[in-house]
Amino acid sequence: MEAISWNKRSRLLAAAIGVFVVALGISWVFHGTGVVHNDLSRNIYIPKELTMPLQVKAAYDGEQIYFRYRWPAKQPHIYHDMLRFEAGKWVRYGDSEAGPQAQGIYEDRVTMLVDDGGVPEFEKYGGYIAVGDRMRFFTEEAKADAVKNHPYLGKKKNQAEVGKHLPETRTDINDWSSVVPEARLAAQRKAGYFLDLWHWRAHRSNPIDKSDDQVIAEARYGDKGKSVFFNNWDAEKKQPLFMLDPDKTGGKVALAWDDLANRKLGFDDVYYMREDQTKPYDAAHPWKADDVLPRRVLRAGEGSAADISVAGKARWKDGFWEVTLVRKMDTGSPEDDKIFVDQRAYTVAFAVHRDSMGSRWHYVSMPKKLGLQRNADIGAAKFQGTEPKWDQPWSEVQLFYPGQVSWPLLNSSKHAGAANIRQGVPVKARHSEIQLAHYGVEMEFNDEIQKQWRYTLLAGLLLIAGFGVALVLLLPRKEGRQ
Amino acid sequence: MNAYHVMLVHFPIALWSTAALIIALRAFSDGTLARAADRILAPLLLLGGLLGACGFVAGLLVWPIEAVASSPLARNHVLLASWSLGYWLLLALVRWLGGEQVWQGLWRWTMLGLAGLGMALQTITGTLGGYLAGNPSAVSEVMRRLGWEVFTTFYLPGWVLIFLGIAALALIALGAAGGRRARAITTERITPTSGLTVAQK
Repeated sequence: MEAISWNKRSRLLAAAIGVFVVALGISWVFHGTGVVHNDLSRNIYIPKELTMPLQVKAAYDGEQIYFRYRWPAKQPHIYHDMLRFEAGKWVRYGDSEAGPQAQGIYEDRVTMLVDDGGVPEFEKYGGYIAVGDRMRFFTEEAKADAVKNHPYLGKKKNQAEVGKHLPETRTDINDWSSVVPEARLAAQRKAGYFLDLWHWRAHRSNPIDKSDDQVIAEARYGDKGKSVFFNNWDAEKKQPLFMLDPDKTGGKVALAWDDLANRKLGFDDVYYMREDQTKPYDAAHPWKADDVLPRRVLRAGEGSAADISVAGKARWKDGFWEVTLVRKMDTGSPEDDKIFVDQRAYTVAFAVHRDSMGSRWHYVSMPKKLGLQRNADIGAAKFQGTEPKWDQPWSEVQLFYPGQVSWPLLNSSKHAGAANIRQGVPVKARHSEIQLAHYGVEMEFNDEIQKQWRYTLLAGLLLIAGFGVALVLLLPRKEGRQ
Repeated sequence: MNAYHVMLVHFPIALWSTAALIIALRAFSDGTLARAADRILAPLLLLGGLLGACGFVAGLLVWPIEAVASSPLARNHVLLASWSLGYWLLLALVRWLGGEQVWQGLWRWTMLGLAGLGMALQTITGTLGGYLAGNPSAVSEVMRRLGWEVFTTFYLPGWVLIFLGIAALALIALGAAGGRRARAITTERITPTSGLTVAQK
């Protein structure tokens, strides 16, 4: 009787261990599932890859400064913002939207923020400082009407959404609308409290070998002058302003939707609209279904807005984009541009848009130090002659998907590192790029994950308790007892 | 509070690690040293549990609860710390109630397995704490290769939570089945003449 009993209890013990181990195994295999998913209604789309590499080189000769960027992309996206003729109307394709544009009509981009010390937090926290309250394409983005009706941002500056802005342009970083008085904004700009934004776009600037030149202060603006593109849309008549001039485009009046959908148009084809290749839109033209007109018109630009050019040709080849930009070191616009000076160090941060994604679906870098013959993450090589030799090695920069993490959040009680920010501890001292990417994704589902985490904690304790009860009940009795 | 938390958690770590070593020694040896060490195992485990609870409470005071609940790494640290504490207390209870009988048969290896899992939980908890304190280690890379990115919250989908609940109930049922059988056997062994069990004699 005793021998049988011992065996049975041993079997029960083995069964209890088995149940416990199986429960642990299933938990291990299926953890982290069931919550994170794309939800475009909440402006949530998680890129398949959370990080990507970017290679950077810089060179200068005392007059001009060059930046060369190289990054992987499965294919180039050079079409952007098109008007397709459908059932007698022009329908827009390729506007900013959450996640990838369905037809792949959204351009690739590389951007670089530059500071010379005028924005001290930028050196430590990079682009995070420019991500303010209720930004565009966040789940809780500000309503367009509220922005349009804002007395300064909307009424005076024609803003329709909350874009990148610097913290001290607000009296309260937790309130996008609390813009400081205009006189103070002007004084801030004069004092250098702005970020210079180099903004190369594969459609809206590259075909004419230009880059957009912008600035981030209380909002993101184009530099003074004429930007390198403008809108091809007559809102009143609901029709384009321009069409292609067949005499200058090899007989083309419009693009064909089939060519765009099947990616038939390459770098050497007309896939864009250049101002000098257009003529006024003719509504009487026999437009047919699937005719396409670009919604943006490219032009040379003027003034500070047209300071940055493409050196050579920016092209995608063998899975990589390679883009080289050039600008005068001193553009003569110190309230739009950061002026580069030999023997000085600057802070830069990069971002790449690819895979037909726009707005906040980009990969960003932590802040990096750029040195003009100074020790730095990226050393700009000084050269003599007509162009750089580019014989220095690439500086490797890891980019990451930042998710929905804003400067107000980082300074709030929700961020364990808020005290570190107050103490001036830089982001790179506490976080890696992959860590920031995962945190960014989790923040998009913070409430759901918190709830599931609490249940998981309790379920784990329940399992341990159940296992404990089983073990205690199955304990061998003291000698002489069974 | 961070400094006090870091200081306090070293006590349970040391005590539980020592306990795990004793369990390993006792699992493989019936010698005098192993038996002598085993005599302090239960108090060692209970003291570890007590100081672990102090460290746990201190840890919850390092940051606002809102911050802890919003940080993947902090969430994981709290989760693993809770499980570690619960798990080592379970081990303490088993050794306390089971006495030296836990070194018989399958129980000997069960104890060794329990200690191993306890050490794993404690190591992961400590690693996550190190990350939070600004001292990352390569253990996270090991976890990554095993299938868990420690920068993501360890949470379970609903159906797995239900499964765990059922597993917990099944465990209790298994224990109850064994317990009833043990009581039945004990009753059978009461002799009609003395009315005392063998053990009582």
